[in-house]
Amino acid sequence: MDKEQLKIQMMDYLSGSMHEDGMKEFEKLLQDSPGLQSEMQALMDTWDMVGNLKTPEPSEAMDTAFFDMLSNEMDKQHQKKASKKFPLWLWPFPRAQWVFGLLLLGLGIAVGYFLNSKSEEIPVDNVVVNEETESVRQKLVLTLLEQPSANQRLQGVSEANKFESADEIVIKALLQTLNEDSNVNVRLAAIESLTNYVDHPIVRQGLVQSIPNQESPILQITLANLMVALQEKASIEPFRQLLQERTLDTTVQKKIKNSIESII
Amino acid sequence: MLDLTDDMLMLKVKSGDLDKLGLLYERHKKRLFGFFYNLGNNPSVSEDLVQNVFVRMLKYRSSYAGNGSFAAWMFRMARNVNYDYHKKAAKNKIAVGTDPEDVHVETDTFSEKVDMEDKAYQIKRAMAQLPDEKRELLVLSKYREMKFKEIGETIGCSEGAAKVRVHRALKELRNIFLQLETV
Repeated sequence: MDKEQLKIQMMDYLSGSMHEDGMKEFEKLLQDSPGLQSEMQALMDTWDMVGNLKTPEPSEAMDTAFFDMLSNEMDKQHQKKASKKFPLWLWPFPRAQWVFGLLLLGLGIAVGYFLNSKSEEIPVDNVVVNEETESVRQKLVLTLLEQPSANQRLQGVSEANKFESADEIVIKALLQTLNEDSNVNVRLAAIESLTNYVDHPIVRQGLVQSIPNQESPILQITLANLMVALQEKASIEPFRQLLQERTLDTTVQKKIKNSIESII
Repeated sequence: MLDLTDDMLMLKVKSGDLDKLGLLYERHKKRLFGFFYNLGNNPSVSEDLVQNVFVRMLKYRSSYAGNGSFAAWMFRMARNVNYDYHKKAAKNKIAVGTDPEDVHVETDTFSEKVDMEDKAYQIKRAMAQLPDEKRELLVLSKYREMKFKEIGETIGCSEGAAKVRVHRALKELRNIFLQLETV
C-alpha cells in the first residue's frame, strides 16, 4: 500500500470516518503488523491529547463587544437606507439646500399660522351676540341722551365711547347733543366722544358746522384745538364768523386767530 | 430559526439581515475563541480576534457565495485575522508568540500550572513548539465536528492532502512531546 494512502487510512480510522468494511480490513492489517499497530496507538494517544486540550470560556465582555459592534453596523445600515430614500430627481440640488429650504418653509408656515390666528374670523355666534349688544347699546345711548338729567346724558355719551365702530345714528345723536345740549359738560363730553370718529366725513362736517353754534369759551377753545390738530381748512370760515361776534371772549379771540393762522 | 443552517444564516446576513450574524456568533464564538487561544494567543487577545473575524464577515459578506462550507469560510478568515495580528505584533515588537512556550506559561496562573496534569501541560508546550501551519492544522482538527474536507477547504488543499498533513503534524507533535518528557 502507498505510504500516503496508508496515512489517509490511519486518519480515517482515527476520525471514525471509515466505512465498516474498510474498518475491519484496516484492523486486520493492524493485527498483522505490530509496528503499524504501535504507530497507530501513538497517533491515537496524541490525537486524544490534542482533543483534550483545555480551553477557557470567553468572557462576557466579548459578547458585549460583539453585540455593540453589530448594533452599530445595523444603525449604519438603517441610516444608509434612509438616505437612499431621498428622491433622485431632486438630486441636482445639494441636499443641504433642500434641508434649509424645508426649514424656511416650515418657519414661514409657522409665522403665517401665528399671524393668521390673530385675524381669525370671529365665529358666527359671536358676531350675532355682538350685533345684538351694539343694538341694545345704541338704544341705551339714544335713550340716555334724551334724559333731562345731565348726569344721565353724560352717561349716554360715555356709553357711546364703547362702540367699536362708528354708528351713524349714534354720531348724529352726539352731534345733536353737541349743538343743542344745555349742559356744557355734556357738550364737551360729546366732542371728546366724536374725536374717536374724526376720520368719518359726517363727524368732521358736523364739528365744523357746530363752531358758530357754540357760545361757551371752553367749547370754542376745545374745537379750535381740535381743528388745528385735524388741520381742517373748512373750519376757517366758521371761525372767522365767530370772530365777528362782539360778545366773544378776548382769550378765545386770540386762540381762534392763532388757530386760523396754524391751519392756513 | 434554529433549523436554519449556518449557510442559510450567512446568506441572510449577505442580503442585509444583519441581526442573523448574532446567531452565527452564538454558534461559533467558543470554537473561534478556542482556535485563537490554542494557537498561542492569550484570552484577551483571543477575544479581540474573535471580534475581528465577525467584523470581517460583515465587511466581506458580499463575497460569501454559499457554495462551500460556512465553517471553512469562517476559519479561513480566522487564519487571516491571526496572521495579520501576528504580523502587526511582530512589526510593533509586541511579545506575542515569539516564544510559544513563554506565551503559554504566561497565560496560565501559577496555581493552574501546579494543578495541570503533566501530560496536558506537556502537550500544550509541545504544541507551542510546532511550526505555525502544523499547529493550526491540529487546532482545526481538534474540533471534531470539522471534517477533513472542511479543513482542506480552509487551508486550501484536497481532503486527502489535509489528512496526510494532519497525520504528519500529529507525528511531529508526538516527537516533541516525547523529547519534552525525557528532559
